Amino acid sequence: MNTLNRRQALRAGSLAAAGGVALAGGVTGALGAPAAFQHGVASGDPLPDGVLLWTRLTPSADAVPGSGRGRQQTVGWEIAHDPEFRRIAARGRVGTGPERDHTVKVDATGLAADTWYYYRFTWRDSVSPVGRTRTAPARGSAVDLLRFGVVSCSDWQAGHFAAYRHLAERGDLDLVIHLGDYLYEYEADPDGVRPHDPPVEMVTLEHYRRRHAQYKTDPALQALHAATPWVVTWDDHESANDSWSGGAENHTEPDEGPWSERQAASQRAYAEWMPVRYEPGGHIYRRLEFGSLVELSMLDLRTYRSQQVSHPFDRGIHDDERTITGRKQLEWLTSGLVTATAQWKLIGNSVMISPAQFPSTLNTREFEALTDLIGPIEGVPYNVDQWDGYTHDRATVLRTLRDHGVSGTVFLTGDIHSGWATELPADPLTYPLTGDSVATELVCTSVTSDNIDDYLRVPPRTLSLVVEAVLKLANPHVKYLDFDSHGFSVLEVTPEAVRMDWFRLADRTDPDSSAEVTASYRVPAGTNKLERAPRSLDGATPRFEAATEAERAEAERQARARQARETAPNTAARRDDAPSNEPAASREAS
Amino acid sequence: MTDMQHALSRRNFPRVTTAGGAAVVLSTAGGVGVASAERRRRDLRVYVLVVDGLRPDEIEPQVTPNLYSLRGEGTHFPQARSLPIMETLPNHVMMMTGVRPDRSGVPANDVYDPAVGEVRTLDRPSDILVPTLLERVAATGRVTGSVLSKEYLYTIFGERASVRWEPEPLIPITDHAPDIATRHALSAMVEKTDPDLVFVNFGDVDRVGHADLTGTTLRLARNAALASTDAQVGRFVDELKESGRWDSSVLVVLADHSMDWSYGHRLISLQWRMDRDDLLADKVAIAQNGGADLLTFTGQESERGAAVERMRRIALEATGVLSVHRPEELRLAPDAADLVVYCKAGWRFSDPTPISNPIPGNHGHPVTEPIPFFIAGGHPRVRRGATSSAPAHTVDVAPTVGELFGLPAITGGYDGTPRHEALISREELATS
Repeated sequence: MNTLNRRQALRAGSLAAAGGVALAGGVTGALGAPAAFQHGVASGDPLPDGVLLWTRLTPSADAVPGSGRGRQQTVGWEIAHDPEFRRIAARGRVGTGPERDHTVKVDATGLAADTWYYYRFTWRDSVSPVGRTRTAPARGSAVDLLRFGVVSCSDWQAGHFAAYRHLAERGDLDLVIHLGDYLYEYEADPDGVRPHDPPVEMVTLEHYRRRHAQYKTDPALQALHAATPWVVTWDDHESANDSWSGGAENHTEPDEGPWSERQAASQRAYAEWMPVRYEPGGHIYRRLEFGSLVELSMLDLRTYRSQQVSHPFDRGIHDDERTITGRKQLEWLTSGLVTATAQWKLIGNSVMISPAQFPSTLNTREFEALTDLIGPIEGVPYNVDQWDGYTHDRATVLRTLRDHGVSGTVFLTGDIHSGWATELPADPLTYPLTGDSVATELVCTSVTSDNIDDYLRVPPRTLSLVVEAVLKLANPHVKYLDFDSHGFSVLEVTPEAVRMDWFRLADRTDPDSSAEVTASYRVPAGTNKLERAPRSLDGATPRFEAATEAERAEAERQARARQARETAPNTAARRDDAPSNEPAASREAS
Repeated sequence: MTDMQHALSRRNFPRVTTAGGAAVVLSTAGGVGVASAERRRRDLRVYVLVVDGLRPDEIEPQVTPNLYSLRGEGTHFPQARSLPIMETLPNHVMMMTGVRPDRSGVPANDVYDPAVGEVRTLDRPSDILVPTLLERVAATGRVTGSVLSKEYLYTIFGERASVRWEPEPLIPITDHAPDIATRHALSAMVEKTDPDLVFVNFGDVDRVGHADLTGTTLRLARNAALASTDAQVGRFVDELKESGRWDSSVLVVLADHSMDWSYGHRLISLQWRMDRDDLLADKVAIAQNGGADLLTFTGQESERGAAVERMRRIALEATGVLSVHRPEELRLAPDAADLVVYCKAGWRFSDPTPISNPIPGNHGHPVTEPIPFFIAGGHPRVRRGATSSAPAHTVDVAPTVGELFGLPAITGGYDGTPRHEALISREELATS
């Protein structure tokens, strides 16, 4: 009940005001000048004594993002205890210019720990929207509760960012974690909900800057940036699909130039346009602390990784020379986990670490849909773009957790456009008997990006329910799976438990879409195990898997029937048994 | 142990009979009578209950309902950990002294003792170098008690408590008394002498843990031990409530270490590896402590530096070894060993020979650090229904209990931290 009161109070109060300003899309400057701060404001990477503040100045009509035009300018910034800026905590001036696309990043320091602040930028007569941000609790201090929004995979062309709007309106979030695929590289899609700008696939620095700028004009995105600090990392689409250290699936040389140049352009634009403590030449993997309750390690699983193997039967997935993290980051991650003093070790992880077997009881069409979702799997056990394709690194991480008795590690993951809650078995051989696990993984679904029902072109929560049941049978450590929904997650962290609620949008193409809670799972302290929570954080009863109990039971019955057929002697249950074009909704899961 | 029994000289042996009819023999220091309970006004009783070898994830509503509900009623420390070496003796000694092994004198169950030139168990009262709570609380005019199910625990703590129970009947091989006997003794001691502080060790869960072949096949036996120990704890709590002691009681419930199971073939034997080296042959003594091997070079002092480096290299080459440490890195005294070698999860050491340690369930290595730790009871200072992120340790027990009794820290200060998170301060109580 405290939660509701807090939330109600915040919604009625200053946050709504701050969000409202941001939603208005910036403040128009004097005498018909372009809106100087039309890309909104943002904050990120909070420390106990400081936080990064961000905006982009449009000093003249021609100084559009990516253009390289416009002069050097000086921007004022201030951060205050109140939204009226009567009690200023810090202020200053900072230069910007075309060399950084007129983006502004300020490290506001000297602030008090665990405190809400309001901030804004000024330039000549223009004043930016007001943002609200929060510093981290003091190092080692006791913290009772933290709430984070968790999001990933926000494709402009696939829909509107209603997920961001819902999170912005909650008013109870200390932080938003974006796990990657914040923007997409693809060219304008004539069938898309709204077209990309520039209309070409982003390859050059100008393209990347323009695309970032376009995303930053979305009112819901601006509202969420203005409402709370973000902690972000990139996945592949910030540069190009299935990227690795030396290239990407969606990168063609020489037509698109050398990968090193494209990667550098994408990372430079990211550093300019995101409120993140990263500058080119450094590394984006980093660790943030929230008192004695949480250490949040954000990973970079693209910059240092070896090329994906070409197919999952390639023994290369077990090659100890191949890496997803790079040796230095792996050492940083494992040594940090062993020496961590905070209770919960949250890991911002752009691709799934839980092993996932894709069983042979799926039919061809379902396999193809999964292939569209997770990459070229061709009917097999592994998605080679996630940790399943780099088993040596995964074993190193999981062995470290086990050998050192590290408790309270929770991987927060995106990338796969679907909601999962899994346990990470201590020993896969004995897990089905003992249930012993060394960590858990909570995967948020996509804000908009396509998933199974979109690929299968069937109504949500029909055929996918069976696919999910089949996968869960083959993977007993998978406790929750929703292949269809788009939306967001809310994570609550207390000394008692870490808990995630998954929300699904009614319609990702509708900016005003409603959202419902479809699952709530908790990891009780000291267990590394998942349990289903009967009520969401907001007190609602989740419609688990976004389906009725009868629908879930029927899906499981069908999955078990397939399994029985598969194992029955002399019964050829092949993947191509099922008709390829059945009206799946009615046939498989009515 | 006979020398130990000689050492316990000034004992009185009151034989008391419990409400359940069991006869229990207690030994007492001069001056503590079985009728002392009635003579003193009681507003605080502290019971430190150690469930030996209990893993934190084993406390759950079905198998251990009493521990589960006690934990929920008090203050829970889910981050709690055992400290090196994660063995029974060092951690029990840390609980009662509040200092790490480099000051307490007890770094492991077994060490190489240069005075006798062999590996021995640290089971002598003189092995503990600093005062424990048992005599420090008793020195304030209060009565302390020890009810320790394992023979070596009983002997190392010796006559420090005002009232002691000598564990019996001892189960052969495991050298411990079953938990039902331990609980009967505890009940009898509380009923007849009503100590202000009792230090209790329940050994069944650990002893069954050691026997579990893989952590899976004999899990039923482990669960049976868990359920039975839990029932003993529940019975004791019921007695406190029935006798009207609950409202003045603080229960500190924890384990000394956790438990890890290894497959039969996953054993590491270092002795032969050392002995086949020319410099080290017959000059390395190994005190095997389950998941930790303590290596001491016994050759010429002038050769020690080179020898220790070679020992480190040989140990790190062995499959299943996790890490190698100098004793001071782990806050063990320099004379505890030259090197401490840890194994990985799912492995164990077997030294001096590959058949020396046939026990699949082991501890001593880092995977066995996480322990249950909570503070419960009816005393008004116990914070109810709370969970704390604080990294509680076994060494925190003495400062916490000392704070409850208003004892000053020991000379040189505690290494542990009073767990104020679990206690409502006196000022808070006064104003509420």
